[in-house]
Formats: sequence, C-alpha cells, structure tokens
Amino acid sequence: MESVTQEPPTTPAPVHSEPVFHSSQAPIPKTGWLMERFAHWSIEQRVLAGFGLVFAGIVVISAISYRNTSVLLENSRLDTKSHELVQLLGSVEEALGAAESGHRRYLVTGDESYLKSYRATVEQMPEYLRYLRGLANEGAEQRDRVETLERLITSQLKAEADAIVQRKKRGYEGVRHLALAGAAKNEIEEIHRLMTELDMAEQRVLHARVEESAGSTKNTIALLGLGAFLQLVLLASVYFLIHHDVAERRRVAAELQSRGEMLQAANKELEAFSYSVSHDLRAPLRHIDGYAALLSKAAGETLNDKARRYLQTISSSAKQMGQLIDDLLVFSRMGRQDMLRTTVNLDQLIKTVLHDLRLDLQGRTISWTIHPLPNVSGDPAMLRQVFVNLISNALKFTVTRPEAKIEVGAGPRNSGEVEVFVRDNGVGFDMQYVNKLFGVFQRLHRNDEFEGTGIGLANVRRIINRHGGRTWAEGAPDQGATFHFSLPLTRSLR
Amino acid sequence: MTTVKPILLAEDNPRDAELALAAMEEHHIADKVVVCHDGAEVLDYLYCRGIFAARQQGNPVVVFLDLKMPKVDGLEVLRAIKNDVNLKPIPVVMLTSSREERDLAQSYALGANAYVVKPVEFHQFIAAVKELGVFWGVINEPPPEGSKPSA
Repeated sequence: MESVTQEPPTTPAPVHSEPVFHSSQAPIPKTGWLMERFAHWSIEQRVLAGFGLVFAGIVVISAISYRNTSVLLENSRLDTKSHELVQLLGSVEEALGAAESGHRRYLVTGDESYLKSYRATVEQMPEYLRYLRGLANEGAEQRDRVETLERLITSQLKAEADAIVQRKKRGYEGVRHLALAGAAKNEIEEIHRLMTELDMAEQRVLHARVEESAGSTKNTIALLGLGAFLQLVLLASVYFLIHHDVAERRRVAAELQSRGEMLQAANKELEAFSYSVSHDLRAPLRHIDGYAALLSKAAGETLNDKARRYLQTISSSAKQMGQLIDDLLVFSRMGRQDMLRTTVNLDQLIKTVLHDLRLDLQGRTISWTIHPLPNVSGDPAMLRQVFVNLISNALKFTVTRPEAKIEVGAGPRNSGEVEVFVRDNGVGFDMQYVNKLFGVFQRLHRNDEFEGTGIGLANVRRIINRHGGRTWAEGAPDQGATFHFSLPLTRSLR
Repeated sequence: MTTVKPILLAEDNPRDAELALAAMEEHHIADKVVVCHDGAEVLDYLYCRGIFAARQQGNPVVVFLDLKMPKVDGLEVLRAIKNDVNLKPIPVVMLTSSREERDLAQSYALGANAYVVKPVEFHQFIAAVKELGVFWGVINEPPPEGSKPSA
C-alpha cells in the first residue's frame, strides 16, 4: 500500500523461462515435446485446435462419402445400361429368328404374308443396331463384338433378301436348297455365338460392378461410423477442456468472492476498532490530564518546583497521546473514507490553508514564494490535508532559521501528470533516510528537537496514493528539503 | 432565573462526572446538576419513577447525554426523549468522546440540539463544560412547563 517510491527490489526476480538440461538427462521424445507444447497452449488455442480437428474430419469424411456415392451412382447408371443391353440382345435375337423363319416359309410357300415379319425386322434392324452401339460403348471388347455382330446381321439379312429375290424370279425350285437350310445358315450360327458371348460378358461386368458397389457401400458405412466415433471423441475432449476451464474459473471467482467477504469483515472489524479507540482511549487521557490539573489546583501552593514540574509532564504527556490518537484516527479515516472527485483550484486551496495556519505564523519571519498552481481533479478535503501537512512541516523545520524561506510551485506537466512541490530552507534530512520519511510513526528528529507524531507524511502519501499519484522528497542535512507529489491528469480512483 | 430547574448529566464514568462537576463548580452551577449513571436512570428521572419516584415534578433545563452508556445507550435515550411529546422540548446536548461521523449523523437525525466532543485537555474540557452549563443552564430560556407543540 505504501510502496510507490519505496525501496526498489534489490534482488532480481527468479527467471523461469529457460529450462536447464543436465547432460545426463535423456532428450525429451518427440511426442513428449508435443505434449509439452500443448501444455503451454491457452484454453482458447486448445479449443480452437479441437474444433479445427473436428472440422478437418468432417471435410475428409464428406469428400470420401462424396466420391463413394459418385461411384455408386455411376455403377447404377452402368447397371441400367447393361440390363438394357441384355434385354436388347434378346429382342434382336427374337427379331432375327422371326425374319429367318418368315423368309424360309416364304421360300417354301411363296406366300407373301410370311414376308411381313421379315420386312418388319429389316425395317427395325438399323434402329436396333444403333441402340446396341449406344449401349455397348463402355468396353473395347464389347464394341468389337457389336461391330462383328452388325456385319453378320447385315450379311444375314442381305442373304435372305437375295433368296427372296431368287424365289420371286425362279420359283420354289430355284431356291429349294436355300429353303431347307436357310439362306444364311453360317451367319446365324455365328450371330448366335456372338450374342451369347456378348450376353455373358455383360453379365460378368454386371456381376463385378455389383460386387464393387456392395464393397464401396460397406466401406462408406464403416468410414462414416469411424468418423462419427472420432468426432464424438474430439467433441468430448473439447467439452472436457471447456468444462474444466469453466470449473476452474468458477472456483477462482468463488475464492475471490470469499476473499472479498473476508476483507470486508476485516475492514468492519478495523472500523469497530478505530471507533473503540476514538471513544475509549480518550477517556482515561482526559482523566489523567483533568486530575493532574485538579491536583495542581488543590495542592499547587504546597508543592515544590520539582513536584509541579512532574504534574506538568503528566499533563503534557497526556495531551501528546491525545494528539497521537487524533492523528492516527485521521490517518485510518483517510484510508477508508469515500473519495470525492471534483476539480480543485489549488491556488484557492493554498490561500485557505495559509489562512488556517495564521496562528502558527505569528512571531515568525517567513518569505513566501507561491507560484501559480494548476487545477487538479481530486477530493478537496483530502488535498487540503496534504497541503496542511506539508506546509506545517515546512514551518516546523524552519523554526530555527532567522528567516524561513518556503516555496510552493508546480513542476512541468509531463506524461499525463501534474507535479507539485513544497520547498523550505529548514534543517533538511540525510538522503539515506529518505525511505523512512513517509512511513507511519517514522521520525527523523528527536521529540525535544521538533514535536510531532510521525503521521503527517504518511497521511500525505496515503492520500496521494489514493489519487493515483506518487510522493517523493529530496534534501540534505541543514540544506532544506523539497517534498514533491504528483497527481494524474486522467481519472484513476483507488 | 427564579426556578431551580436542574441540569441532568448522564455520564456512566464517575471520573468524567467528577471532572464535569469540578468544571461546573468553577461557575457555581454544580449544585443544579443531577448525575445519572446510565440511560435507564435518565429515563427513570424523566418519568419520575424508580429511585426518582419522589422527586419534584418538572423537566430539567437541559440533558447532557453521553453516547456510550450501560443498559440503555445515549442514542436510545435520545430517541425516547424526542418521541415523547412531553419530553420533546427539553434541549439535549450530546457530550461524548466520539468524533465519528456516524455518531454525529445519527444524533442529529434523532433530534439532538447540539453535539460536543469532550476535549482531552482539561482546561479545554473545563471551558467547554462551563460554557455549556452556563449557556443551557443560565442563558438559554427553557420551554414553558407543559408546553405542547402546536399540532
């Protein structure tokens, strides 16, 4: 509380930043180093890392699922194509069969009505073939087969057409052998073989694809399951981190509150204590002084000088202790009292202080130098106390001078604070005791040299501290002393 | 000054009482002083009961009241006086060691007529008590007996 300019720390604080490794120590393994790094992370960084991992996991799983689903969709498209191809092959075979049997019946009977199905097949065939080419374009083998098939079909239909023309020209006898064996016997066999091949190849591909799809689906499900599990683990650890942090914060808050309550209780106790001091300690002092006075009145005539001096000492001691108690109470009140915050005109304040001290000035030769002082923000009564104490001090310690010189002024405004000083040409002090000046009950002079309770400067420091300012002093024995205080220009209450 | 209306001094500390009496002695008003040693006695005196049942009727010219007293403390006595229509006109002077703001504020809030802090120094104490005694006991004109506040 009282250490703004007191004793700078003499020993440097221990440094923790760099760990010391002994030669015998094994190097920290890589994972250990990672854990160490993690241990240094703040809670925000940890939570962020956790959520980052969860996000990355979601992205990876989404990408793989997307790819698998695309494969499934593609397979299902190919499956449809394969099914259609198989079906189409059936239709083509049927149509070719119908054309073959139709044209043979015509060759035998010469009945034109048998050519109906043959013609329908011839008409439909380019369409069928086009369709077939469209469906069998996925593999080179199938494409080749379809090409061969196309050629064979064309040649079959052509042979049959030739046979029909022969029949028309030369009658049944001209085409007898054709009617029995069929116009394109070889082609038909070849076509049948090819179609079976086509059908089987397509069935094989279909089967492989179904297996692939099933595997892919299984993988996707497994991946999703594993992903969900990992996400759950990550989220749980993030939750744990946050929960841990919140619990810690809650604990700290509770501790702070309980400490605040303890402090409040201690403050209350202190208040009761100072009240008791104020009331109870004064009474016996009053009695000591009172009865000493009564005694000296009742027996003064009969007492010798020595006895009278004893009585005098009793009285003055009692008075001194009374003063001490009063000063102490003021000091304690300055620490507890609520602070006002208004603009204080220091020029005006100095005038009233000098007016109040006029009784102390009687019979003294004092040369005053009062420089213009700035307006500051603070508690007027407290700042008044500061000036009363500093000027009383200056008056007290210049009492031995034939002409006291007291100067009050303001230093240059810099770095957001106002500096005020009170300088005197009094007895001064040795700078080696400068840290004792502002302590409670700290005195640099014997009581028979200068009277005082040793609280005035402590009070000054306490008031200035509460205003957020600093106090310091300089002086030399028999060379006078200068007391400084600073007040911040910005508002900062304590 | 035809009446011999007493000054009531409520003081639990016999030494303080003796010193106060010694101070009044100097101005020959000590014989008018009645000393009570706690708050309960003050109330007994004011209501003419207990050891004061046989006393002559009438209110004192002034009550000097200490704050800290056994049984009934000064503030409670003050409250009782100021809440009683018949006692309310009696001037009450708080005579105490306490300089605490809280005590001052409470005393005035309850209707104290004056608040005096006992000086430590005997000469100042004598001067204060003498002045108080002379002012309230001699100079000040007490309210007429049985006066009631006009509604």
